[in-house]
Amino acid sequence: MSSLTPSVTHGILKFARTVRVYFFMGVYTAISPIGYLLLAILSRVGKADPVARARRMQRVTTTAYRFMHRWLHWVRIAHFDYRGVLPGLPAGPCVVVANHPTIMDISAITALLGGGCTVAKPSLYRRRMLHRLLEASGTIEGPGPDPVAAGRVVDSAVRWIQQGFSLILFPEGTRSPPGRLLPFGRAAFEIACRARVPVVSLAIRCVPMWLSKEVPLFQPPHPMPHLRLTLLATDDPAAVQFDSHRLRELVEGRYRSWYLLGLPSGTPGDGADVMEPATAAKEGVGRWRNRSKIA
Amino acid sequence: MEESLEDRLKTLIVETLALEDVDPASIQTDAPLFGEGLGLDSIDALELALAIHTSFGVKTRENDERNREYYHSVRSLCEFIRAEQAKVAAPGT
Repeated sequence: MSSLTPSVTHGILKFARTVRVYFFMGVYTAISPIGYLLLAILSRVGKADPVARARRMQRVTTTAYRFMHRWLHWVRIAHFDYRGVLPGLPAGPCVVVANHPTIMDISAITALLGGGCTVAKPSLYRRRMLHRLLEASGTIEGPGPDPVAAGRVVDSAVRWIQQGFSLILFPEGTRSPPGRLLPFGRAAFEIACRARVPVVSLAIRCVPMWLSKEVPLFQPPHPMPHLRLTLLATDDPAAVQFDSHRLRELVEGRYRSWYLLGLPSGTPGDGADVMEPATAAKEGVGRWRNRSKIA
Repeated sequence: MEESLEDRLKTLIVETLALEDVDPASIQTDAPLFGEGLGLDSIDALELALAIHTSFGVKTRENDERNREYYHSVRSLCEFIRAEQAKVAAPGT
């Protein structure tokens, strides 16, 4: 009996994964109304205190994400690797920043932290079916096009952090383009400086890439995608005298170095999506303005 | 000769936002303040709004749909300041 060529085997396995994704989405679509109803009920009954309610909502969401990750692994659609980060996390609330290559990122970070507040685009936050759930779970409405609305976001985020919640933010503001980073905004770092909490920098890598802007849900790659979270560093804003400009430059510089150098050898798909130095230079390494508020 | 509002605002931007390598005179009056132009961000806008309130007594209302228009350039910001100051000078109009 002749054996199948590698490309045929690859095609068959890829097709099998696509079938499993369709099956997963079918089941997900069938049970998601139950999950939505559960969250809708939880957002309305008992616990008049918004902080207690947000904690409860985040606990339920975390459990759901962790269950989803196990299930996706079990049906060999995707593997999530974030437990290695746990020992490096600070004990108290913090601002967690990360690059944002896929739409699975927020679920992985939430499952890692066991909850966390985040900022949603006004168009999403104001959606009729979602508004109440997002509000009850401590999600903050983003500033939208109003340039001075960042003040409300910062104040709101600092209040949640003071209540003991961590904040999860993607400083690029949207999903990262393939193999590169967009410029970082300053809001996450300003929030960390004002709340006087550390900034935890997580590096996210998905190999092979899936659920990015370019690789849609129903075109899963083969082999099975591994979404891995790595702790890059934890930065105390006191080390930069609570200057959000310097804190952003420090953290963004670290991410750009990570993109240039890639992960240590032995990690899945090492070097697969590392940015070329020339591209990195073009994309803005060393583009920062020479500014400092420190006398 | 008295400094124009445009020049005062340019100096205020540089001093408030600690733009060490930017000469106020080099800021183009019509150039965008955010993104491609001077490259300010949303937190800069917040700090600038507070500085404008302190220096010119003009408060920027949050959630005003026209804020993006007001904060587009030095010229649009000056027009906003003049309009707000005129409202205060002529109450009831």
